[in-house]
Amino acid sequence: MGFSFMIPSLLLLVAFFIVPLVFVGEMSFREGRLPPPGGGLWQNYERLFFDSFYLGVIGETMLLSVVVTLICILVGYPVAYFMVRHAGGKLYNLIIFLLIAPLLTPIIMRTFGWQVLLARRGLVNEWLQSLDLISKPLALLNSPVAVVLGLVHVLAPFMILSIASVLAGIDRRLEESARMLGAGKGMSFLKITLPLSMDGLGTGAILVFMLANGSFVTLLLLGGGSLQTLPLLIYQQFNTTRDLPFAAAMSNALLLIAFICLFFQLRLIRRKGV
Amino acid sequence: MLTKLSRRQVLAGTVAGSALALASLSPAFAQVDSIVVTSYGGIWEIAIRDLFVADYEARTGGTAEIQIGGPPQWMSQIEASIDNPPIDVLVNTIDLALVAGRTGLVEKIEPSKLTNLKNIPDRFVESVQGWGVIFDYGAAGIAYHRERVANPPSSIKAMIEGALAGEYVLSLPSISYAPTPQMLIWSLADALGGSVDNVDPAFEALKQLQEANAVIFYGGATEFLNHLESGEAELGIYWDGRTWAHYSTGAEWIGFINPDEGAVMNPVVVQKVVNSPDTAWEYINSVLAPGPQLKFAEMVQYGVTNSEVVYPDWLKERITPWEETRWPPFEEIGAAIPVWVDRWNREIGA
Repeated sequence: MGFSFMIPSLLLLVAFFIVPLVFVGEMSFREGRLPPPGGGLWQNYERLFFDSFYLGVIGETMLLSVVVTLICILVGYPVAYFMVRHAGGKLYNLIIFLLIAPLLTPIIMRTFGWQVLLARRGLVNEWLQSLDLISKPLALLNSPVAVVLGLVHVLAPFMILSIASVLAGIDRRLEESARMLGAGKGMSFLKITLPLSMDGLGTGAILVFMLANGSFVTLLLLGGGSLQTLPLLIYQQFNTTRDLPFAAAMSNALLLIAFICLFFQLRLIRRKGV
Repeated sequence: MLTKLSRRQVLAGTVAGSALALASLSPAFAQVDSIVVTSYGGIWEIAIRDLFVADYEARTGGTAEIQIGGPPQWMSQIEASIDNPPIDVLVNTIDLALVAGRTGLVEKIEPSKLTNLKNIPDRFVESVQGWGVIFDYGAAGIAYHRERVANPPSSIKAMIEGALAGEYVLSLPSISYAPTPQMLIWSLADALGGSVDNVDPAFEALKQLQEANAVIFYGGATEFLNHLESGEAELGIYWDGRTWAHYSTGAEWIGFINPDEGAVMNPVVVQKVVNSPDTAWEYINSVLAPGPQLKFAEMVQYGVTNSEVVYPDWLKERITPWEETRWPPFEEIGAAIPVWVDRWNREIGA
């Protein structure tokens, strides 16, 4: 009986995910605009997986997602820990508000904000010059650093909120017991708190990784060509080249890679005993 | 009297309601005398609604619905349902307009059904091989920050030399920006001694600019203005209409130059989709009419093609005459785009 309640959701899933996926799958086997010698059914996938340039693009896409995820963990965990363990009611609410408020503004606005800050005549370069730390403006914009900054800014709240919700549920008496048995603050954190918060950390990591993996606007506005990722190339194939079969093959490859990474991340988290 | 609904009835109602809601959004369910036309967003949408659609509706008594978006998306929609197309009139770039003609998405122009066609110079039909009419155009020249560039370059060649000499940083369109093959790659090649068959000079110049940290790229039209405003770049290749539209909003620091080589022509084509009703011709007539065209030019500050249109003085100074522009070989460029994009990705970056 309970299954019938799932029918509307399943219908939506089939109509807006499975059916388009089938279309994209079929499209990826059509002839592209720049087919490799010999052509063939798998030509678009051959071009993607047997050309060192496109393999490099896939590698860059993965590397960017991993770096952004790791930085979000490093930045997000202390914030989540402080929120749950040290912030009182009002401060806790204020931090939650500060985390959620930026999500209410469009991603494009936040990214434009970084453009203004990191520009050659932007605030950061002006400060550095006024402090005599640099003699001429640094090229901060249109660089991988700018992209990573922009993505961490956009995605860190997902990490912090995921970790905080799990940290809040950890029984403090377990840490107190460890301390009473002689463990220092660091040891009790490493042996008790961190393992018990792996669930939240894993959820946050999956969310951030997946969102970074498919991110596009931030790369387009802050990257300036310094990074080449699959979403950028998919947009390019659709917008400039109009090579839809190759764009479809890249889209399927991105989806497959995301599934593979998700699988390994879940295995890694489970192996940690959560 | 209250009737208690079963779970099955609620579910059936939800599904039926959703289907009805979706169906009502579909243009296929629009009234028979209603047509679907296309427009870019922003001021374009306002201009098309208030001028062309208003003129069409007043003359014919029919209605026209506007679909916002861009040509690649619209063409995909038409391709997916060619027998009952969701769009009747397509606004297109010229390279894609030629593709739409070759792939059977649009009809050839029928002069007998377009009374306003007599005032459109032949070149605006011949360039599209009759698969539509050019009704509006932009020109890509040099836009610059007046306060930061005292002596702006007068040509594309001088612009590159000045940037390589460290006089300023350029903001140029990236390969993710659809008009880049014409407005940048071909234009640079043509200005630096190459051609559509030899774009090496363009790629060499771009690589030199990158090595000298003298260039940044923009992926969308608004980004160029941000680059100039934030000081990330001082000048670059940009549209006349967008430059003047920005000037009109109070940004009097921006200026535009038609370079010695000639600004690059970027026409906008209007096309009748196959299997669309004959009333679509009437809408195209409105698009080509001198009255709506003049008002359109005043709003978007781009040139229009009806020879009866007389621009007011303030606008005449801003619009690049089409005779003074360079016309890229659109069809050859269209065929070369996949190779150029691939080369750009490998040599310049995305």
